[in-house]
Amino acid sequence: MSIPAFLKSRKKLAGHALHLSVGLGLCSGFLLIFQAWLLAQVIQAVAINKQPLSHVSLWLAAMLAVFLLRALLAWAAEVTAFHAAANIKRQLRQQLHQHLLALGPAYLTGERSGSIVTTLIDGVEALEAYYARYLPAMSLVVLIPLSILIFIFPLDWISGLVLLVTAPLIPFFMILIGKGTERLNKKQWRKLARMSAHLLDMIQGLTTLKIFNASRHEATLISRVSDEYRRSTMSVLRVAFLSSLVLEFLATVSIALVAVLIGFRLYYGEMDFLYGFFVLLLAPEFYLPLRNMGTHYHARLEAIGAAEKMVEILETPVSPEGESQHKDYVIPISDWTRIQFDHVSYAYTAHQPALQEINFTLKRGMRLALVGPSGAGKTTLARLLLGFILPQQGAIRIDDQPLNKETLSHWHKQLAWMPQTPHLFHGTVRDNIALGQVHASTRSVIEAAKKASADAFIQTLPQGYDTLIGDKGQGLSGGQAQRLALARVFLKNAPLVILDEATANLDPESEQLIQHSIDKLAQHKTLLIVAHRLQTVKSADHIIVLDDGRIAEQGTHQSLLTTKGLYAELVTTLEAE
Amino acid sequence: MNDTLHILWRLLKLFRPYWGWMVLGILISLVTLLANVSLLALSGWFITAMAIAGLTSAHMNYFTPSAAIRGFAIARIVSRYGERIITHEATFRLLAQLRRWFYEKLEPLSPAVLQTYKSGDLLSRIRADIDTLENFYLRIFLPMVVAILGCTAFLFFLYHYHPLLALTEGILLSLAGIFLPLIINKLSEKPGSQQIHTASELRSTVVDSVQGMGELLIYGAQHQQTERLSDLTEALLKDQQRMATYSGLSQAGLGLFANLAMWFLLLIAIPLVVESSLSPANLAMLVLFTLASFEAVMPLPLALQRLPETLAAARRVFDLADHSPRIPPPTTPAPQPHRFDIQFKQVDFRYSDDTPWILNNFNLTLPQHGKLGIVGSSGVGKSSIVSILLRFWPVQSGQVTLGGYPLEHFSGDALRRYFSVVSQRPHLFNSSIRANLLLANREASDEQLIHACQVAHIHDTIMALPDGYDSWIGEAGIKLSGGQAQRLAIARALLKEAPVVILDEAFEGLDSRLVQQLIPDLFAHLQEKTVIYITHKKAGLDKMDTILTL
Repeated sequence: MSIPAFLKSRKKLAGHALHLSVGLGLCSGFLLIFQAWLLAQVIQAVAINKQPLSHVSLWLAAMLAVFLLRALLAWAAEVTAFHAAANIKRQLRQQLHQHLLALGPAYLTGERSGSIVTTLIDGVEALEAYYARYLPAMSLVVLIPLSILIFIFPLDWISGLVLLVTAPLIPFFMILIGKGTERLNKKQWRKLARMSAHLLDMIQGLTTLKIFNASRHEATLISRVSDEYRRSTMSVLRVAFLSSLVLEFLATVSIALVAVLIGFRLYYGEMDFLYGFFVLLLAPEFYLPLRNMGTHYHARLEAIGAAEKMVEILETPVSPEGESQHKDYVIPISDWTRIQFDHVSYAYTAHQPALQEINFTLKRGMRLALVGPSGAGKTTLARLLLGFILPQQGAIRIDDQPLNKETLSHWHKQLAWMPQTPHLFHGTVRDNIALGQVHASTRSVIEAAKKASADAFIQTLPQGYDTLIGDKGQGLSGGQAQRLALARVFLKNAPLVILDEATANLDPESEQLIQHSIDKLAQHKTLLIVAHRLQTVKSADHIIVLDDGRIAEQGTHQSLLTTKGLYAELVTTLEAE
Repeated sequence: MNDTLHILWRLLKLFRPYWGWMVLGILISLVTLLANVSLLALSGWFITAMAIAGLTSAHMNYFTPSAAIRGFAIARIVSRYGERIITHEATFRLLAQLRRWFYEKLEPLSPAVLQTYKSGDLLSRIRADIDTLENFYLRIFLPMVVAILGCTAFLFFLYHYHPLLALTEGILLSLAGIFLPLIINKLSEKPGSQQIHTASELRSTVVDSVQGMGELLIYGAQHQQTERLSDLTEALLKDQQRMATYSGLSQAGLGLFANLAMWFLLLIAIPLVVESSLSPANLAMLVLFTLASFEAVMPLPLALQRLPETLAAARRVFDLADHSPRIPPPTTPAPQPHRFDIQFKQVDFRYSDDTPWILNNFNLTLPQHGKLGIVGSSGVGKSSIVSILLRFWPVQSGQVTLGGYPLEHFSGDALRRYFSVVSQRPHLFNSSIRANLLLANREASDEQLIHACQVAHIHDTIMALPDGYDSWIGEAGIKLSGGQAQRLAIARALLKEAPVVILDEAFEGLDSRLVQQLIPDLFAHLQEKTVIYITHKKAGLDKMDTILTL
């Protein structure tokens, strides 16, 4: 879907509020015409017919009422427009969030995650100006000048003609000049953003710059970059502002023309003062919505920029590969005895397989270690078992049931997972341990924490289990975060546990405690460990060595050592550390 | 109040080199405003006068007013264009000045003072603050000054016709331009800060959803999360609705006050026309004049709304810039050492008076071309030794010498000429690989670049990239993996050709197999250098002459 089409298609989410807002704006326009009429009456009565204040008091009273009513309408239009945009923002954000959940973690790799957060927060907010201001303004830019023309034509067709002829010229010239400069303009704004990123980069890297004695040199660079930016931007702006110059020129000249034409007809007695003054009052109002169009146009550009990312997210199909062949029956998986990888292959990008022809069986109760150099496919294998991605070739079978979209939610109930860098959610320690288990009792949470050797450090936190952690809360060390994640694992009490050992250096105390907890866990559970420590590998029942996306060798620690293959080499480097 | 004026004054002083541009921008904006108001007022007068002349068959000189109308029209068109060009030119000049000033203030503070503001939060706040200050002239200062000057002119003009006209106009202009915005600001203060709070909660929730999605799915918490998101969205919309209500009020109020000003003018001026102390044509003129004059206060609500935020930003930036550097520059010219041995004599060191001692009576001797390994777990002061050597931090007592000269005799720049450092988390700049390397040695030839990269085992990786050495590496090197970035940083340090090389956990994040390959090549290359190798792993320690355990 094209982006403007996407934006238009969301209009219906606003409900009636959008129409109401335009309606209120139009009413306000009619009142404006009425107000001009009242004012013309008063001036006519006093200036031409020499009547005193008492004769015009009725007009003046009516005027006061119109003022108040117009203020009320202006306020109501603003509030209604907000409601229209609010309806859209609410539904769009929810829709995006749902779709992301459906796409799963595989979609959210690397640098993409930052821009997705921006899209869901700032992107959605950026649409407000489009729906609350740009769209109503676009309707009114036609409706208000048209209504003014309807009143002017019967009274003074000459002025009406001047307005009618010049009006279409304004959008015409704006589009003509605007199109080219709009692109340049956008480029300049991007440059500006890059420039402030440059400054931030310099500040962040100040220590590095100092080490290389380059920090003074950079100061001149900053002003040179800024100056170059100014020159190139100004050369663009000089042209960009021409479009508003043309607009200003057309509006001003035709108002002046209307005024002069009216003036001479009044002088030669060919026209009533009342009509002349009325038309003169309305002429600037006729151009006002057109002149404001430029300011709202920016909202459109911003909305298009924001929507680009949304369309990209919403149009990403949910797991295109790995469609199930057995859509008709789904047996809940619970009492499984073995997990089998059957010729499983996976590639993130075509021609660059991450895993090829993986075959192995994981029996219930087993402790399986996955080793290999970085980039060998360990994480991809764990992701497949977690169901974040589905095999492109081959199948993963739980007993005889293939793992697919339909069986996945049942499968997740069988799993607990500790990633390499566990995510701590914005909330309390308790909420974090009881993730997904709202009804877990405090006792069971504490018990899980104790098993994970986390209770001791939690007790030392300022509010114990009620301490806020995560993005905005108390910082925890890597080792503490790992132990919290282990507590999650213990609380969930799922039969299969997937552990991704931390590669980063944990403090020795944490490392020992975690090792101890994992040993405890292994007594009752099936374990798949992406291993980075010799200790872990040694205690595994079975070891799979991955290299370059394939299984290089598998067996026990002893048997693999004797073959003197990749495993033996890996063990030497692990020992060297 | 006094404080506010002080900050404004400092801000203006900072922009002193560009006062000319600023004044020019203000003048031309004023011309635009006056031309516009005059055009409308004169048109009203012209039509009415022509009608009266037509009715009384009197002769009228219509050349002068119609020429004036043309003149005002052209003035308005041209000055509006000039206004935009000049105010933008001024803004960009100020922006360049502000950035350079800020950077130059910050440069001596790094890293000792800046480290106390550790979080990335501070950096993004600095960025937001600088962005806010960049708008100071165009969105706040200019409209305020133009409004004050313009309104003063308007009031004098009306006073000339009748003092009461000036009085009512003055009251309504200040109601619309100052009091209404101030009241609205006061009212929106609470929902405004509430809105910021809710928005940041919402942001953390979305960050949680994105970064913790795996956990959400595996632990079946996605519905819980969706509910939380929808609750926060509702809360945010509620805050925003209150803000929209107030902003609607402010807009409606501005229009209402402009209309009321015209209405009171009619009330006062009509009797004047009746008693012939005001000509009928002038009545029409004054009516249009009053309506148009409110254009002067139109941008004020927004300017007043932004003012406190701008002042707060300026205060924060000035606070940061006012810090004095931790290490004063030496008074004597820097010595020129001929040998590069390093000695710590009875050194005591800690980061501040209320933190524990890091080094206590610490002694160390490293001869020229010596190789020293320093091991120990994190937090025992390994990196502090580096900070002391580079004169980022002063020691409390004792003496550190390079080639026999105490470090205090060198300026920071003079001293750092003799050191090359790979730190734990080296910063790579958002530019090309080549530019990042050349940072260490601007005159380095392509051969030198390639050789350094070969020693650091990164050359092949670079050549595999589509643009080779000209590949762009993205913000903070995100297009490179952690290990690649680290090796690039090693290559960069090698390029510097300094006599002392410090490797501070330089192999962090590298694959252990790679480290095994890299170590022999790297240390062979560093044969002729004095080397300090800080690590917590065993790899490479066998190449050291001495090993110090902290």
